[in-house]
Amino acid sequence: MSNPATADAEESPAGFAVPLFDATANRYQLAVLVVAILGLVTIPVWAPSLTYVFAFANIWVIFVVSWDIISGHTNYISFGHSFISGIAAYTTALLTFNIDPEMAMYITLPLSVIMAVVAALVFALPALRLSGPYFSLLTFVSVLVATKAVYIFSQYTNGEMGISTVSVLTFDNTTMFYYTLIPAAVVTGLLLYISRSDVGMVLKAIGQNEVAVEAAGLDTTRFKIWGFVYSAIPMGFGGALLAHFFGNVEPIAFLIVDRSIEMIAIAAVGGMGTILGPAGAAYILIYLRDDLFRTFLGPNARWVAVWSVILILLVYSPQGILKRFWTFLGDLGGDSA
Amino acid sequence: MVDPVTILVTGGMIGSVYVLIAIGFSLIYGVRGVINLSHGAFIMLGAFTYLVVSQYVPGLAAFAVAILAVGAFSLLLYLGLVRYIESNVVITFLATVVVALIVQELLVLRFSLAPRSLQPIISGGIPVAGTRIRYYQLIAFALSWVALGLLYLFVRRTRLGRNILATSMTEKGAKLTGTNVFYVNAATWFVGGAFAGFAGVFIGTLQSTSPLMWVEALGLAFIIVTIGGVGSIKGSIIAAYLIGYLETLTVNLIGAEWRGMFALLLLVAIIIVKPEGLFGREFIE
Repeated sequence: MSNPATADAEESPAGFAVPLFDATANRYQLAVLVVAILGLVTIPVWAPSLTYVFAFANIWVIFVVSWDIISGHTNYISFGHSFISGIAAYTTALLTFNIDPEMAMYITLPLSVIMAVVAALVFALPALRLSGPYFSLLTFVSVLVATKAVYIFSQYTNGEMGISTVSVLTFDNTTMFYYTLIPAAVVTGLLLYISRSDVGMVLKAIGQNEVAVEAAGLDTTRFKIWGFVYSAIPMGFGGALLAHFFGNVEPIAFLIVDRSIEMIAIAAVGGMGTILGPAGAAYILIYLRDDLFRTFLGPNARWVAVWSVILILLVYSPQGILKRFWTFLGDLGGDSA
Repeated sequence: MVDPVTILVTGGMIGSVYVLIAIGFSLIYGVRGVINLSHGAFIMLGAFTYLVVSQYVPGLAAFAVAILAVGAFSLLLYLGLVRYIESNVVITFLATVVVALIVQELLVLRFSLAPRSLQPIISGGIPVAGTRIRYYQLIAFALSWVALGLLYLFVRRTRLGRNILATSMTEKGAKLTGTNVFYVNAATWFVGGAFAGFAGVFIGTLQSTSPLMWVEALGLAFIIVTIGGVGSIKGSIIAAYLIGYLETLTVNLIGAEWRGMFALLLLVAIIIVKPEGLFGREFIE
């Protein structure tokens, strides 16, 4: 299915118009993408009972694509992304709990995002100068420190029980679904754009061979810090959104390291560095976890099942199961990718 | 008023247990560069194995069972999983932490989230200068040093141990001189796991045993190995006692909820100022 236009797009030097979707997508890939997007948008019509779970999954899409833009591209595996979203959620919660329960969202939301970016940079600036396991280690520590702080300062954070003064966006599941779908789509689109742009290419090159990128005269630390900012802004937004989704901010759902590991696992299952892969995997895994497994296995055993599925998929297909599926579709068309 | 004898004794006990937490992690990291994120789960399994087995047999026997069981689990994890993925650092990272989460959720299913306390190996204690020292604390201290001594003899005096040491220095060189790297890895995982089981029994007795304890244990292993320097047993020992005393001082002077906080902050400082640790080899990526 090779047509000259796509071949040109592939070979054109960086800096020209960047297509939002993969320039080499063949008709099978496009068909799957269109069906998936249409199916998602019309969920309230054909599966009304799933709107709540998928509204929740929308927020998780924001988390995993934000994780992917830095860690999936540069291979600097962050264990600290629940720290970033958690800071945003707790900023929203602390403002409403300790200052004014009626505080409007147009004040709390920007403040939450700013706090998330600042907190992310406090840990990222020293961490990004280090390489390999030390970056992961330092981000891991950020989550542990924040979780401890929530318990230590429980007169402000209400400890384990959490803060429930945050206003819930809406109690109508269908409305909530679209309130979360639109930000998820915007964030995914923007990050996909960044991923396919020159910046994304440099970030990916850092993941492949950082020394070579440095040798080419690029300041890799600067790119990594910008990548982290691109990641922290939507993370902060997603964290605040999640606070308004539940109306209650507590450590288990917002902060603990399990949540960070979930983000990494979902991104890896979808295919790190592809943005769309992690987004798709978020829908699949959140559906399995919060609907299918919950129905058949109950609230506790579902976790064993979902982590086992993740482990099997990781070992079976380290490059990501959705990425593998995408390549398979690509081969169907006769276009060797 | 804080009693200095209490600080001295309690800090020493905790330090000697922390050494055990870190040694197993350090071994597996040092020999093959595999960061085993299920190490915390190994420690937790040690505590829970002891919890179950000590209901049926005397404490010392249950302790031995816990060590062997966790060693076996660690070996199986290597043979059944890690062996196939260890060349991919990111997947190994992720797969081992997912294993830890599976263990966590299985334990939640069986034992619920509620913390439990372990029956000490030996009950009773003696008063020393106004402070009551429990026998199991003394045992933890003594056995920790015995285990370290045995590890030293194993690494220096036995053929397998020397092969492990050689592999940790240079795998290529070890292979060229006829070392079977597969046996070395298997042995390292078994010994690392056994140390974790050992540590689990005592950390479970000194602190608490719950399906969430692995995070803190893994964090401690990280902290101690990084502060002491990767690959340095001496560094790990010194760092473990440092953290042990730091935590004891924190708990006694500020409050129990601050436990661990300063260790984390010390770690952040060390990573930023001296990433190779106090006694580390030159940091190689």
